[in-house]
Amino acid sequence: MRVLLFFDQTQAGAGGKEKPNVELAVEKGGIGSYHMFEKYLKEIDASVLATMYCGNGYFFDHEEEVKRKVTALATKLKADIVLCGPCFDYHDYAEMSAIMAQHLEETSDVKAVAMFAKENSDVVEKYKDSVKIIKMPKKGGTGLNKSLENMSKVLKAVVDNDDKSTYEEYLY
Amino acid sequence: MFDKLEKTLAPVAEKLSTNKILIAIRDGFLISTPLIIVASIFLLIANFPVPGYSEFVAGFFGEGWESNLTVVSNATFNMIAILNVIGIGYSYARQLKAEPIAGAAVAFVSYLIITPQVHPEFVNEAGNAFRGFAFGNLNSQGLFLAMITAILSVKIFAYVKDKGWVIKLPEGVPPAVMSSFAALVPSMFAMVTFFLIRLGFSQTGFGHAQNFILEVLQTPLMGLGENKLFEIIYQFLSNLFWFFGINGPAVTNTIFSPIHHTMTFANQAAFLAGDPIMPYIFTGPFSDFFGNFGGGGSTLSLVLLMTTMAKSERMKQLGRLSIIPAIFGINEMIIFGLPIVLNPVILIPFLLVPVMNIALATLATLGGIIPYTTGIALPWTTPIFFSGWLSTGSFFAGFFQLGLLALGCLVYFPFFKILDKQYVEDELSPQTIVSDELDDISLDDISFDDL
Repeated sequence: MRVLLFFDQTQAGAGGKEKPNVELAVEKGGIGSYHMFEKYLKEIDASVLATMYCGNGYFFDHEEEVKRKVTALATKLKADIVLCGPCFDYHDYAEMSAIMAQHLEETSDVKAVAMFAKENSDVVEKYKDSVKIIKMPKKGGTGLNKSLENMSKVLKAVVDNDDKSTYEEYLY
Repeated sequence: MFDKLEKTLAPVAEKLSTNKILIAIRDGFLISTPLIIVASIFLLIANFPVPGYSEFVAGFFGEGWESNLTVVSNATFNMIAILNVIGIGYSYARQLKAEPIAGAAVAFVSYLIITPQVHPEFVNEAGNAFRGFAFGNLNSQGLFLAMITAILSVKIFAYVKDKGWVIKLPEGVPPAVMSSFAALVPSMFAMVTFFLIRLGFSQTGFGHAQNFILEVLQTPLMGLGENKLFEIIYQFLSNLFWFFGINGPAVTNTIFSPIHHTMTFANQAAFLAGDPIMPYIFTGPFSDFFGNFGGGGSTLSLVLLMTTMAKSERMKQLGRLSIIPAIFGINEMIIFGLPIVLNPVILIPFLLVPVMNIALATLATLGGIIPYTTGIALPWTTPIFFSGWLSTGSFFAGFFQLGLLALGCLVYFPFFKILDKQYVEDELSPQTIVSDELDDISLDDISFDDL
């Protein structure tokens, strides 16, 4: 399974809240917080081709450009699925992930899912019907391990085109 | 094995961090914390731990200048039970969806109802006993009673309010007046209850609720706090939770922080009174400043290794990004980015180093090598060396911290090396995955240009 990651600056390890304007960039393989869940991806034979990331301020200032470029790269690399997350309870990252996942699903053959905590309640409400959002706890909350395990189940099911009922308990 | 461990830990963490009473107590303390820190600064100014300082300042302000600053200490340290009964009353009322400020006021008054108001030991020339409240009943001696009072009074208040036993005023009355009257009957129930409690105790040998709680609850709990393993258990559990990505201190503080706080305030009181003997070792500052350097797991040691000795790009970059936050005790990037979470290789030093730090610091305190912490409260983000020096009054304690930091580096080193080696291998191995199946898409210089 060919996977692409879509991170913000924090998950990519390119800075914290003080760096929202990190430009859109891509690196080979998985970087940053990928290492927190890489064992779950290996279990489903997924390999991360590359990690795309940008600052969560940069995204909203250059939304159309980021959406276009990410979609183009995902298509060029023939990715099976793009994971936009894990966002925990980082609100801006959650919102840009939902927007990105929705755009990918609607305008390309590449599938996409988002993953963030219910604390981002307005984003959940707005996108839960159009984007597959995987449940996860907020930073420091309980259940992180389980949610990462669920994430790999969802990724596999979505790529295999399984019936939604088999994995919808993990989504909002 | 980790799964089983997490299955037992996660529900415990969930229960503790959602329990309304524990949250109320924990958040209630937060209200008084900034005031206590500022008061500590005043105390620090009065007692700055540099030889010759006191005489130097006396040159400007005259002898005994320090005593002017004690007014701030009296207003805070010596009133800590009151500050917290208000804070806990406020936050518990908020939890129970009652008017928070009304809850705080009811808790405050309820506490005063059961507190001695006349002190026959102090009589003036006219033979009248002193009327008022004694610091001895309003400071850390009354802390546990304050917690119980706040919770009980607000519970009664909220219960009565929810039952609807309130005076409803007609339409057109301003909302502030409405809610004031709405608080009347619930407050009455709470106040009557505490009046009866006071009467009840006056008939017993204890005389007052303060004495009862002190003897029956506070002292045994403080006994727990005096157990030499108390702090080690706290550190171990807090960091174990972090390993699973759960905010450890947020969970463990629900139980440990009332005891930590009481010990801190008791030491402060002794310090204020000029008593050379400090009652407790495991104060909040001791826990904050001698266990973990750079955040949970004492990761400053690890970050130092990463910035200086790492061979993998990943470690080097992460180390560079994390070193400044680490000096101030922030290590979120390391916890989730190295990651430490769910990473078995790093678990052993992550749990061991803080336990070792506390064990050594405890032994050093018992052996008189470093002084007891005076209870002076500083922000938990105070950098290493300064935190040790200012919280004990001794430069040596600051150096001791640096020694512990170095020792931590030694302990982390072998595990760090294993991880670094692993990452170097990952970085060097070619991306074998996909290039065979598909029309040669090279991943080596992908970029967003020309897209």
